[in-house]
Parts: sequence; C-alpha cells; structure tokens
Amino acid sequence: MRRLSPRTVTFALLSAMLLVFTSVSHASSPALSIITPRNVQRGVENTITFNGARLADAEEILFYSPGFEVVELTPEAGKATAKVNIAADCRLGEHVAHVRCKSGLTEFRTFWVGPFPAAAEVEPNSSFEAPQKIELNTTVHGVVTNEDVDYYAVELKAGQRISAEIEAMRLGTTLFDPYIAIIDAKRFELSADDDTPLTKQDAVASAVAKEDGTYYVMVRESSYAGNGNCRYNLHVGTFPRPLAVYPAGGKIGDTVDVRFVGDPTGAIAQSVQLPTEPNDQFSLVPQDANGVAPSGNPFMLFEHGNSLETEPNESIAEACAAELPNAFNGIVQAEGDIDCFRFTAKKGQVFDIECFARRIRSPLDPVMNLYDGNGRSLVGNDDSRGPDSYFRYTFPADGEYVLRVTDHLKRGGDTFVYRVEFRPVKAQLSLGIPRVARYSQSRQQIYVPRGGKYATLISASRSNFGGDITIEGNQLPQGVTMHAPNMPANMSTMPVVFEAAADAPIAGGLMTFQGKHVDPATGIQGHFKNRADLVVAAPGQSLYVYKDVEQLAIAVVDELPYSLEIVQPKVPIVQSGEMALKVLIHRKEGFNEAITLQFPFRPPGIGTRSTVVVPAGATEAVYPLNAAGNAQIREWPIYVLGSANVNGTAWVSSQMATLSVAAPYVSFALERAACEQGQETQLYGKITHTTAFEGNAQIQLLGLPNLVTTTNLEFNKETEDFTFNIQTDKTSPAGKHTNVFCRITITENGEPIVFRTAATVLQIDKPLPPPPNAPPKPKPMPVAQAAPKPMPAPMPMAKPLSRLEKLRLAAKQRTEGAVPSGSEEE
Amino acid sequence: MTATKNTLRSLALFALVLMTAVTSAAELVEINVYPQNIDLTNSRDRQRLIVQARYADGITEDVTEQATITNGNAEVLRQDGYLFYPQGNGETMVNVEFQGKALQVAAKVQNFDVTPPVSFTLDVMPIFMKANCNTGSCHGAARGKDGFLLSLYGFNPNGDYNNITRDFSSRRINLAFPEDSLLMTKGAGIVPHTGGTRFRKGDELYETVHEWLRDGAVMDQGEIPTVTKVDIYPKGAVLNGEGAQQKISVRAYYSDGTDRDVTHLAYFSSNNDNSAIIEQDGIVTAQNRGEAFIMARFDTHTVGTHFIVLPKNLEFSWNELPENNYIDTHMHNKFKNLRIIPSELCTDEEFIRRVSLDVTGRLPTVDEYNAFLADTDPKKRDKLVDELLTRKEFVEIWVMKWAELLTIRTTNQISYKSMLLYYTWLQERIANNVPMNVMVQELLGSNGGTFANAATNYYQNETNTLKVAENVAQVFMGMRIQCAQCHNHPFDRWTMDDYYSFAAFFSQIGRKRGEDPREIIVFNSNSGEVRHPVGNRVMAPKFLGGDTPDLTGKDRRQVMANWLASDENPFFAQNLSNMIWAHFFGKGIIQEVDDVRISNPPVNKELLDALATNLTEYNYDFKKLVRDICTSRTYQLSTKTNETNEKDTTNFSHATLRRMRAEVLLDSITQVTTTSNKFPGLPSGARAVQIANGNTSTYFLTTFGRAKRETVCSCEVKMEPNLSQALHMLNGDTVNAKIAQGGLVTTRIGEEVPHAKIIEEIYIRCLTRKPTEKELTNLMELVSQEENKQQALEDVFWALLNSREFVFNH
Repeated sequence: MRRLSPRTVTFALLSAMLLVFTSVSHASSPALSIITPRNVQRGVENTITFNGARLADAEEILFYSPGFEVVELTPEAGKATAKVNIAADCRLGEHVAHVRCKSGLTEFRTFWVGPFPAAAEVEPNSSFEAPQKIELNTTVHGVVTNEDVDYYAVELKAGQRISAEIEAMRLGTTLFDPYIAIIDAKRFELSADDDTPLTKQDAVASAVAKEDGTYYVMVRESSYAGNGNCRYNLHVGTFPRPLAVYPAGGKIGDTVDVRFVGDPTGAIAQSVQLPTEPNDQFSLVPQDANGVAPSGNPFMLFEHGNSLETEPNESIAEACAAELPNAFNGIVQAEGDIDCFRFTAKKGQVFDIECFARRIRSPLDPVMNLYDGNGRSLVGNDDSRGPDSYFRYTFPADGEYVLRVTDHLKRGGDTFVYRVEFRPVKAQLSLGIPRVARYSQSRQQIYVPRGGKYATLISASRSNFGGDITIEGNQLPQGVTMHAPNMPANMSTMPVVFEAAADAPIAGGLMTFQGKHVDPATGIQGHFKNRADLVVAAPGQSLYVYKDVEQLAIAVVDELPYSLEIVQPKVPIVQSGEMALKVLIHRKEGFNEAITLQFPFRPPGIGTRSTVVVPAGATEAVYPLNAAGNAQIREWPIYVLGSANVNGTAWVSSQMATLSVAAPYVSFALERAACEQGQETQLYGKITHTTAFEGNAQIQLLGLPNLVTTTNLEFNKETEDFTFNIQTDKTSPAGKHTNVFCRITITENGEPIVFRTAATVLQIDKPLPPPPNAPPKPKPMPVAQAAPKPMPAPMPMAKPLSRLEKLRLAAKQRTEGAVPSGSEEE
Repeated sequence: MTATKNTLRSLALFALVLMTAVTSAAELVEINVYPQNIDLTNSRDRQRLIVQARYADGITEDVTEQATITNGNAEVLRQDGYLFYPQGNGETMVNVEFQGKALQVAAKVQNFDVTPPVSFTLDVMPIFMKANCNTGSCHGAARGKDGFLLSLYGFNPNGDYNNITRDFSSRRINLAFPEDSLLMTKGAGIVPHTGGTRFRKGDELYETVHEWLRDGAVMDQGEIPTVTKVDIYPKGAVLNGEGAQQKISVRAYYSDGTDRDVTHLAYFSSNNDNSAIIEQDGIVTAQNRGEAFIMARFDTHTVGTHFIVLPKNLEFSWNELPENNYIDTHMHNKFKNLRIIPSELCTDEEFIRRVSLDVTGRLPTVDEYNAFLADTDPKKRDKLVDELLTRKEFVEIWVMKWAELLTIRTTNQISYKSMLLYYTWLQERIANNVPMNVMVQELLGSNGGTFANAATNYYQNETNTLKVAENVAQVFMGMRIQCAQCHNHPFDRWTMDDYYSFAAFFSQIGRKRGEDPREIIVFNSNSGEVRHPVGNRVMAPKFLGGDTPDLTGKDRRQVMANWLASDENPFFAQNLSNMIWAHFFGKGIIQEVDDVRISNPPVNKELLDALATNLTEYNYDFKKLVRDICTSRTYQLSTKTNETNEKDTTNFSHATLRRMRAEVLLDSITQVTTTSNKFPGLPSGARAVQIANGNTSTYFLTTFGRAKRETVCSCEVKMEPNLSQALHMLNGDTVNAKIAQGGLVTTRIGEEVPHAKIIEEIYIRCLTRKPTEKELTNLMELVSQEENKQQALEDVFWALLNSREFVFNH
C-alpha cells in the first residue's frame, strides 16, 4: 500500500468537509458564549452582538423579558448581530436571551440594560495623570487586564453628586472582583468600595463634590489581577445610589411610602405603586431629579402589609408593637442595636419565620430569636438561610411573643435594613431539567426536529407534601405536541416527549411548565426553574454568579436525517431478568453517521449501559436492559435519546414506549452440590409456579467453574423439580464456587422472558490423600475388603464433608496410624 | 571513686585558698550573705548560708568557708558550719564577718516540735528529678523505661503515685520490708538497674524514700502547698581563673508562706560547660574564659544566675569611651565586667552602607555616598539615620518582617484577595506609625470577615486552637511553649496548666463562611473550652505568666490581646525590642529571638530591660527605638576586632558580617545594575521586599532563603550561605543578565566617561567605597589589555557583584 503524504491526507479531509458543508445547509448545536456590549441603553436602538459558534442559521433572539424589538438580524458563522430597539420603560438591570437557529437553540446568556449612553474605554488610561475624559451619566465599557488600573475624569460643579456603579462580577463572565474609587483632584479618595452587600463583589461609590473641578473614577481588580475577559460596565453620573430601601417590601398592589438610604445627599423618599402579581425578582429603582440609578434595590412583594419598628425597642421589655400577619420591618441602626417586636399569636399557628436581610442586599447578618411574653427564650437562628435567619415555629399557646433581631457581629448602621415575614407553611413544588453536565446548560433547552421527536427528563422537587404530579406545558410552538405521563409519588423525575409535525413551522419561544398535584382540590402547583452557573471558581468550585429563569426555551428545528423507534416489547421484563430492547434507526438516504444512544430514564431497579453506539450505516440496535430483584412492578414510560454528528451534534429521541416490569413467572430453590475433583454430582432444584406460561422453558446452569459441564434442561408449567448432572474434571478448580445460578428463558408472544435465579454453591474438593503408611492402592477386589460394605460408595457425593468433618477424619486417620508415623519422625 | 572525688575537691579547695590570697590583693568592696534571712518552720527544716565577697576589680569570691559565721542563740539554732538547724522556737541573729566587713542575718524558728511526715508530692517527687529518674531518656519517656513509667519531669504526681504503688501490685514497693522494694533496690543499684545507681543507701535521697515507704507509702491528704517561687544564690559571680569555685544555694517558697532550702533537691545545670561546670552538690567550678548561666530546677521552676569566668588575674584597663546613649552605657558596663574593649568606630563608608541596608534595604546611591562623605557635620551620622527613617523603604522592610511573623501567604483557605487585604492592613498600620501594641491588640482581638476586617486572617491562617496559642506566644512573647502541650517545660517555667490555660483564650473563635466563598467570618462564639489532658479539667483562661482575668460577658481574645500587648505583660516590649535589635545586629540579645526561656538568658539583661522600658515609654513607636539603636556607638562599631574582643561572638563588642537577606540582595543587585524586576501582583520595577505573598518567589529568592511564611518561626529566613547561592551568583541568570540588561557600562562608555571613573562608580555602587589604588591599577591594567572595553568593564562589575564584600553587610 502506498503511504499517503500528510498533505494528501489534509487535502482529502478538506474535500470531505467541503462535501459535508455543501450537502447540509445548517449546523446543529449552536452555542452562545457572550452577548456584547455587556450593557445597552434603553430607549434607543442598539446593535447587539451574540457571539458564539454555529450561528449561521440564526433566526430569532428569544428574550425572557419584554421591551426588546429586533429590527434586523445578521447571522454569521461565529456571531449574530442584531439591531434591537429597547423600550424606554424596559426594566433596568440584568436580562436574558437565547439565539434560536433553524437547527437549534443556544444556551441563554445575560446582558444588562442601563439608562445611559455608552462610551468605550480607550487605553492608555492607566495613570491618574492621564485619565480618560468622559461625560457625566455615561456607561463605560471597559476591560481590566492584568494589573491594569483605569482612570476616568469628569467635571463637576460644587454640590453636585457623583456616583459610580460597576457591573463586573455580576456580568457572569469570569471571576472579576472590581474595586472602584472616586478621587478628587488632590488624590483624596472621597468614596471607595471593594465589595458592598448591595452589589456583592461589585462596587458602588458616591460622593458630593465640595468644589468645582475634575473628579476621577478609578477602576481596578481588587487584588490587581485581571485579564482580557474582565469586562465591566462602569456607570458614572449624577444619579442617586442609595444602598438600601426601607421598608424593603410591601403588600402586592398597594401604594407604599419608602425611603432610600445610604445616598450621600441623604434619604430619598418615594411613594411607590406595587405590582399586582407576585414577582420574586422585583426591585425598586431609585430615582431623583438628578437621574436614575443603573440598577434597583431588591423589594419583597408580600400578601400582607408592614409593621415598622419604633425605637427604642432594645430589650424585650421595650419591644415595640407589631401585628401579624404583617411583615416586621426595621433597621439595626447602630453598633450593638437590638430590635424587639411584641406581637400576639394564637395557639397552633405554624409559621415559617423568615428574616430577609442579605437576601434584600442589606449588610445585616441577622440573628433572630423568639421569646414568649415573659422573656423566656423559645427558638433562635443565625444562618439557616445563608447569612439570613429562619425557623419554623408552632405557637404553643395564645398570647404575646417577642421577636428579637440583631447583627451577628453586633454591627449596625443606617443601611442595616431587614424584614421578617411570617409565612404559613405551604406545599411547594418546582420543576426542572436534571443537569447532564456540570456547570453547563447542555440539553437544558428543547429542540424538536420537524417530523421528529425530542424527549427530556423533568424533575420535581416537592416540599411539605407528597403525591402524584401532572405536568403541563403551555405556549408550545405550533405543530408541537407534548406527552407527559404523571409523575408517581415515589419518583422525582419522569420523561416528557415532544413531537413536531412534519409541517410544523420552524419557530420557537419560551414555554411555561407547570406541575400540579393530581388532586386539584389541594391547589398545589409549581413551575419550572432553570439555573445557569455563570461563574464557578475556587475555593472548591464555588458558584459565584448564576442566573435563574422560569421559562423553558423550545424550538422546532430543521428536519434531521435520522429518527429513532423503539420496537415495543410484547413481554414484560421480570425482576432479576433481562431484556434486549430493540431500537430501529430510520436513516435518510445518504446519512450514515454513527449514532450514540442513551437511555436517560431508568425506572426504579432497571439498569443498563450508559450509551450504546450504533455503527455507521446500521439501522438496528439492541439496548440491553436488566431488572434488579426489587425492580418496581408497573408499566413505565421509556425512551432512547440519540445524538449524531449533523455538522454539530443533533439530538433526537424515540417515541415514548412502555416497559412493563413484572414478577418472575416461576421461582426456583436450588440446593448445594459438592464432589471431589473428577467426580460427578447432582444439583437439585424445586420450582414454584406463580404465572402460568405456555410451552417449554429452558434452564441453563451458569457460573460453573472451568472444566465442569452439564446439559441444559427444559421444564413446563407442571414441572416441580429438576436435577442437573454435573461432571467435574480432575483438574477442575477446587474450592467453593458460590456463583452458580440458573438462567431461565420462557417464550411468550414469540419473545423471550429471561431471568436468573439466586446463586447456589458448588463445592469441589481435592481427593483426600491416602494414609501415609497405607498400601499404595487396594488391590483389585480382595475378599477381605468386603468389610466396608455398609458404607456405600456414593455417600461422600450425597453428603460432602465440611472442613471440620474433614479435619476430624484426618485426625482420626492419624491416630489410627499414629505409632508408625510418629516413630518415623523420631 | 568517692575518695578520688574528695581528693579532687580538697585540691580545688586548696587552690581556692591559694587564690584567695591572690585575689585579696584587690580591695574588698563588700560581702553578701545569701539568703538574707533564716526561716525554719519545722523540725526537719534547715538553711545554708553562703557568703560572697566582691572586690574593687569586679571579681567575686566564695568566702563562705573563710568568713566567721556565729550563731546568735544556740537555743534557737544549731549550727554546723554554714548550715543551720532548728533547736527551739524563737528568733535570733546570725553574724557574718569577713575581713572587717560584717553582716547580720535574721533567723526565726517556729514549730520546732512539729515533724511533718514525708510527703510524696513535696519530698519524694523532687527526688525523681534530682536523681534523673523522670527524664525523657529514662522513665519519663512517653512509654516509660523497662516497664516503669513516670511523668516527664514529674508533671503528674497522681499518675506517678499510681504507677509506683498500684501498677504491678506489690512489685515496686514492699511495705513489709521497705528496703526490699524494687524502687529502693533498683535506685540504689543493689539489683541490676539499666539506669545505674541513682542514690546510695544512707544518703538523704535514699533515706527520704525509705521513710516514706516505712510510713506506708501514703498519698498526701488535704491541701498540698505548691511552690510559688524559687530563688537561686548568689545573684551572679565573676570568677577569677580556672578552678575558682562558688557554692550555690536554692530556696523554694511555698503557697502556705513557708520556705525551704532545696539545694540538695534541686537539679543543677550549666548552659556553658566550657566556662563553668556545676556538680549536683551545687558547687560551680570555673573553666575557660567566658560566661555561663547556672540553672537550678526544682518542682516546675527553673531559675538561673549569671557567671563570668575570667583568666586568672587578667590585666585590664578600661579607657573611658564615649557613650552615645543608654545602649552604650549598658554595653560598656558589661564589657568592663568581661574585660573587653569594644572595636573602634567603623568608617563613614562602612556606616552609610550598613545603615542604608539595615534601615531601608537599599544600598546608598553614588550621590548619597558623595554627599555623606563630603558632609563635615559631626552629627552627620545621626542626621543620616533620621533621614533614612523617613523613607518609605524603612516601612517596607518592617512590613516584610511582620508579614513573615503573621505568615501572610495564600493557602487553600486564604485567597489571593484575602492575603492582599491582610498585607495591606499590615502595611497601613506600619506606614501610619500605629503603635505596635495597638496594632497587635487590633490583630489578636479582631472579629469580622476576612475581607471586611483583614486582621481576622490571622485566625484563618491557623485554625487549630492550640497552635494559635503557640503562635501567639512565639510571635508576640518570643516563647516556644509547644513542649508544655505534653509535659511541663523542662527548661522553662511553663507547665501544662499554663499551656492549656493560655490556649483557653483561643477556644471560642467562631468561624463561618462569608457570603463570598473566599471570605470567612471570624467571631466570638462564646462557647468552647480547653480541657487539660490529665484529668480532663476545663481550664480557665490565664495569661501566660500572669493573672486569671474576669471574662464574664467579654471576648476572651480581646481581653487577652489587651493584656498581651500592654505594659502589664513584661514579655511583649522585651520581645519587640529584641526582634528589632536582632534586625540590626544579626542576632538578638536573646538568640533565637523567639526562643525566650530561662535557660536561654539575654546576654545583657540590663540593656534588654532598658530597650523594653524605652519602647514602652515611646508608646510602642518602634521607629524611635530604631533611632536609638542606629545612633548608638555599639551599632557603629567596626568589624575589625582587637585583642580583647576577637573571641567575643555574643556581646556585640564588634560588628559582625551579615549576609544580606534574599530580598535585599536581589533588590541591591537590581539597584546597582539599574534594572527592574517584575513580580506577580506588583508593577514592574517593584522591589522584592514589597512582595505581599509568601508563596510568590523566584529561583533567586528561594535559593537565598526567602521565608515561605509557612510557620511563625524566625528560622524560616535562611541566612546561611550555601553552594547553590554561590553558583547562582556566578553562573545563574541573575547577575550576568542584569549587568547586560541594565547597560550601565554601555551607557557610561557612550557618555565617554573615563574607564577609571567607570570602575570607581561601579565600586561605589556595589561596595560603597572607592577602589584602592592597588585595585584600580590592577583593574586598569586588565581593562587596557582587553580589546572589548565594555566586556572588560562588565567583567569588573560581575566580579564585584560576586565578591564577598558585596554580598555581606559589614
């Protein structure tokens, strides 16, 4: 054979790749790595680039929140560029988007919407002497490279406020912990921040200019690190940047008076109309005549109103009055401050008592204690909810109680806001898709090929209740149907299959998933939640930034050149049994790629291989299943999921088939067998019939050691026992062979039901050595040898000697022949 | 054997008598009697007196045998030479007279008719130590010896009692025939004993044990008095020549107010057998010239006294030397005692190099060198010190040194950010001249997040309660108390009780994860105790060598920090002063600086005390102490020795050669070659001294022994020269590459500077001196022979950087 030169091989490969490119018009598994710029201004048209891979057939951007209108989308291989009109009332802060392509859906990524026009960072700006000049109320898009320091200069009039807020870690790109400082012309730091509870590792700074002049904002990584991925949005302007809002929650639909605190110009009072729908991510954006802050302060929406603390309430005796079911609100105002609330509760009331402090981004690390009216301590907690406190409490009697809140380190301050909500104990349900890879959004979206199927597992987490759950999907794209069996009470995952009609339009959207208790009277329901791990870093792969979404992205994608079909088995798989599940691969003309099959849903007790690879061109595969002895008996939905390279990984699933798990039709009791090497023995078994079957069934004896043979047996529904004749060899391994078992094959509906029995023991012993002084071998049939007749020859076979018995026998033999052997040794 | 020993002793005595005749030629100044009273409190009690004469030349002499000691009342006291026994209750005086000097000693006898039984704890236990039974190599080993276990140095009397009387029942003791007890027969060597004969039948140790056995070998009942203090006499001695002797007397004070002469029970040792040896009978014999610290150990107490041995009848005259400040005064006092004349002052060139390297970690620049040499102000050295102290490099040196003590480095638990914040915290404290006591109080009492209050990293660096306590003792008090974790410290005062009581201050450190995964919140958990491993007692927090404070409602660590870094703690200021001293002299007044113990006494206690007192008075502003040190004459001495101090390596009578620390050396090479370094996390051009992280290092720094800051031990910084260092200087990529990279020679050639001037500049840069004429001639000859002048001059540069004169601070 002629050896090909490397160049020839490369050329051949290239040609092959070109062929693939020309024959397949699209790419599967599009990916989105980052959306740039990281911040866009609302109220104007922005050009947003969705950077990733395999995006050439991008068709649509899916936004999770309103306010975005894509005017133009230009797809390219590595990116999709969109002109997006952003509504003037678009919510400020973090937003989420996917790119939908004809062939698939990307993962979701975040970007930020801000109120200010953008300016790009221009290096060099690394020294105080040569800063980059920017306008007030600007958002700078910058990068901190290694040991980089960025300076920006703005002009201020005396009395003007300057605020700076940075989005860096929050951008969820990399571990980038920024530090910012506002510096005056004499290099004095007016305000500097590394971390602040409001923005976690990100920083905010705010100061009031004492005189007209140039002021500087400095940005760096807090430990002078940095790299090309350390992007930031730096908002510099005259906007208010209070650190907390008080009270930090209110009744849904009410108008509440709130006070923003922590701004250098003092508190900012506002009256706010609250939304009428619950929203876990609600925040209030501070605003005054000088501008609007680039992000909001978290605000709780609650079913009930507020009770506000009145100082002094430092001790149980001085506790201020509060009323249930209101939420209690307060500020731990100074170092060592203690807040006490006195309230009345009724016997038997059970509440989840939640203190919200760090969860509403307050600096407070609360410690919450409950006392009875006499000051006797009942229950307390520090950190059950991260730094926040929580306990569930059943009030033992009607009467007065006192709730005490303080800081764990006895700190305090104007912004140490907290809120305690008494929530009745409620059943809670949430749905999700189990992760298939760590820190990845892989297969956390649904992409159904036209005329094909795609299945996923849905997981449910139930708290405070149990029971079966129905799963409902809403806003499915046109032409898509969903098959979702009920999730039994003992299960926390179930498969759901989506099927797109051959003529379903290529489209996509965000669907809501809902789970409900099968009994509608319970009113228990919950929705889907999906989390993307955005920044994971040391120590110990800690999750620094994540984003939760409550909708599931689904798309109908181009038809795929293959589909899968499970051949519905006609027999059950029985406990301790096995089954070869046949899968048909329907290939389009010309599609010969190898396909990897998975079996994602495994009913309890059913095991199988993680993957089965269907070789290129093959149209049939067998997925071997096995059932444990305690596999749960019932009918289960099953599916196989396949992936193949269709210029990128393309996923498809089979239909939802049924796997019936049944009890074995017969049960066997095997006895033990033993013999010496080279001898023959028998192994007896008894059969108990539980389910009748037709015809003859086969029994194979398996697990026999080397050079031990027997013949297969057959039995029918009337057979009650059987005997295997086992022939050993002189060289068969001696010892206890503990894994000898029967495999039974019963044929029903033309398909085999295969299962195995529990194992028994075959003991093979070495023949006893002849006594040392015994004659070499008894001579053939001397008359005198007739004496041992009462002991029939097959005895040892019928009752093999135990080790102890053998030792006794040996000892006996020794004593009988002791004199000569002992004297020999002398 | 005994006969020979006695003969030797008689000979020695004879020599002493002879010598007395000689010494008495100098004028007798005073006599001292030790102890200064006799207080006998039962019929077993006794007291010895020793009389010491001091002559005008500083020599002392044991004149106990020669002095006339008379008993004031034979009905109260019974006298046997210089030993006194009770004779009847009452008070009297004992008169001591020697060569016209007289003293009186008050004597008091009480409870003459009381004969207390032999106490296991008070009488028998000390015998095990005196007879060396319970040392680590004998029965005090962790598993005992030959099947018999005693607690190491007797830290557990109850356990020992149990092992003697209950373990192997009726084997070790025989109450019917006490003298047949194995305890007696083994100890007295009557039956084979691996440890040999420890006492002899008939001597006092034997008889005491025997009597205890005869009385039934009972354990003491009720409250047993504890030893509160032990005194050793005399309080120092200056012995005249080899063979001179001095008796030692040891007295113990008990918690019931009594005292006891325990000379026969104390275990004696000398820290320098080359100069003075001590026998177990308490007699010191002078050997070679030098100093020795004579120690006595009784109960858990070790006490010592300072001995100087001089050559016999040494001729010596002290010329009054100028004293710049109190440091010189204390030094000169000691030199007078030691008959040492300190070296001359170092030259201005040496001084500017030495002080620049020590204070700022940098070599003087050519301009600084010229300006200093040209200055004719007699106070120019003081001026230079003052100027150097204002530089930020001074701060950086001390930040580095503290960073080593506080083990500032990244670990699996401490992120880079945490480490940097911790370093910045330290830097701010030192740069802002925060008094050391305030800084240490802030550090040790810190609570909060490791980001929010970076001082709390101290408690994240080490999370083991006992280790934290050990580190605090070692860093801030200079004491290694580790030994006392398992047994009473054999060479120091620390008992296991002290150890666990001190550790109890650190038993309530709460740690929880902060919101940022990299942050840990350190807080006062208000719960958690330390238990004593013997008996599992909960130990109440007690200051090391101090009181048991009231801690109700307080943060234990804050109470401890407030005591530790205060005037109340005698060790804090002393330890800081010693650390600072060690930086400028290469070794501490107590060496190692973190090994303060009774058996490792300061070479000049008066000086150390004065430094500590001054530091306290300066409100712990260590900069002022540095000024005192650098402006003292002692610091400015030359390395050249004279006849009297050439063998002195401990008393700072001349300057010593000190290799530059790794960081300073690299910075100096970088400085003289006009190059720069780039270290992670620091801008280009930053100095090695400024590296925040103990884990950041380079091959150069590692080779020259930069501390990794893994432990608090002062031994982490390696100053010893080794082969890799020499090879790295010669062949490594630092020196040669930097010469080429800096291009100093090329620049000067380009500026058409004459070759001789270039050589001169290189000399000043590297060695802070001009070349000698001979050097210059030789080098010029070399340069003229070489065609490539740049190469030749760079070779000169290279040679200077590889010279010992460059690498050492001298």
